[in-house]
Amino acid sequence: MFPANIEHYSRPATIDEALATSARFEDGEAMFIAGGQSLMQAMKSRMTRPRCLIDLQAIAELRGICPDANALSIGAMTRYATIAADERLTGYFAALRDAASHVGDRQVRNRGTIGGSCCWNYVASCMPAVVLALGAEMQLRAVGGASRSVAAEDFLIAPLETARAEHEILLGLRFQAPAGRGGSAYQKWGLVKDALPVVGVCVAVTLDAAGRCASARVGLAGLSAGAHRATAAEQALLGSTGDAAAIAKAFDAAATAADVQGDKWADMAYRQNLIRTLGQAVATSAFARAAGSKE
Amino acid sequence: MQTVTIKVNGETFTESVPPRLLLVDFLRERLALTGTHVGCTHEGVCGACTVHLDGDAVKSCLMLAVQADGHDITTVEGLAKGEELSALQRAFREEHGLQCGFCTPGILMNMTDFLKHNPNPTDDEIRQGLIGNLCRCTGYVNIIRAVQQASQVMQGEAP
Repeated sequence: MFPANIEHYSRPATIDEALATSARFEDGEAMFIAGGQSLMQAMKSRMTRPRCLIDLQAIAELRGICPDANALSIGAMTRYATIAADERLTGYFAALRDAASHVGDRQVRNRGTIGGSCCWNYVASCMPAVVLALGAEMQLRAVGGASRSVAAEDFLIAPLETARAEHEILLGLRFQAPAGRGGSAYQKWGLVKDALPVVGVCVAVTLDAAGRCASARVGLAGLSAGAHRATAAEQALLGSTGDAAAIAKAFDAAATAADVQGDKWADMAYRQNLIRTLGQAVATSAFARAAGSKE
Repeated sequence: MQTVTIKVNGETFTESVPPRLLLVDFLRERLALTGTHVGCTHEGVCGACTVHLDGDAVKSCLMLAVQADGHDITTVEGLAKGEELSALQRAFREEHGLQCGFCTPGILMNMTDFLKHNPNPTDDEIRQGLIGNLCRCTGYVNIIRAVQQASQVMQGEAP
């Protein structure tokens, strides 16, 4: 299999040049390619047939991980392998490494990018659930330089659908650092090791001075409606100390409330059980990390 | 058509290619470097087409040749120095790390990159590292032995 005819390939050196190239084409005709680990499959199966492919690999400002006191910024073109190897991503941001180090396989992680994954927003993928739980702000720029920032939950509309407009580039993701102690974790279950998530759970919590949960965000991956927050679990975790009973109750609530649809590989009850068991493991780890654990 | 200049196994090639040409097809059909194999061709799941892009193991069926313009590619043909096989290649021969051999080029390329990042891996780490490569003969046990042997040889611990 190989892609349909591509009339034009360009590799701009700047964001403005990339946007200007895109704007020369009608809506839907030009596509940006990041790591291409999903898009190439879609092009080869002829699910998508771009006339113009705009390769973002040469735009240095789209890459890199930059933590400061207030926020963590990750360029859209930052590869999974780079995120997985970055030892600064601990505590509140540890879920990014949990997820990035188990996406696909080594070869995919050497090419695939966090921004590409979020813009593709595949129905079963890890990064959308993680950016939801961590409350990412998606930073976009349009032709003419107009920039805007969109909260992850508004950006991720539905599988294969985002708030990114035609001729608009995702520049990067910005994660607000927690006010106090914070921890996060992500785990998934797939049909084979490191496969797409049948269910994935990401939990991010912050603790107050007394060690009680001051904020909780939970992202679920693998739902038929795409990545979603599990607000029932979030509310149940608030005020708890992360004890086993509170966590179990939270993920019972998440499993009951989630819009879960079974298939021949994993029926509804099994998926609900995955939400419970993965959720409990991940929440336990997130609380431990918030309390200072390096695990 | 677009003109690309790609360094492959140390030699620079300039070719005119259509943008939709896959890197794996460029290597096999334009340069006749048929050591890079095509297994699944579509989903990018088999790993037989793994090459190094600027030193990193990547699947050459999930990339266009135009995307490799200006980059450095190493294929399985580039692992040996002349007639002298790499330590990993020798270990695959000695430990019988291949049966039909179809998956071998991709596994050699992936594991060469893997050992660079993890020179002293556990068996479990090797298994994790092999997730992106399918061996349809299911000969993984000897593949893991071969990677272990190469790791020891490369660290100077074994014959």
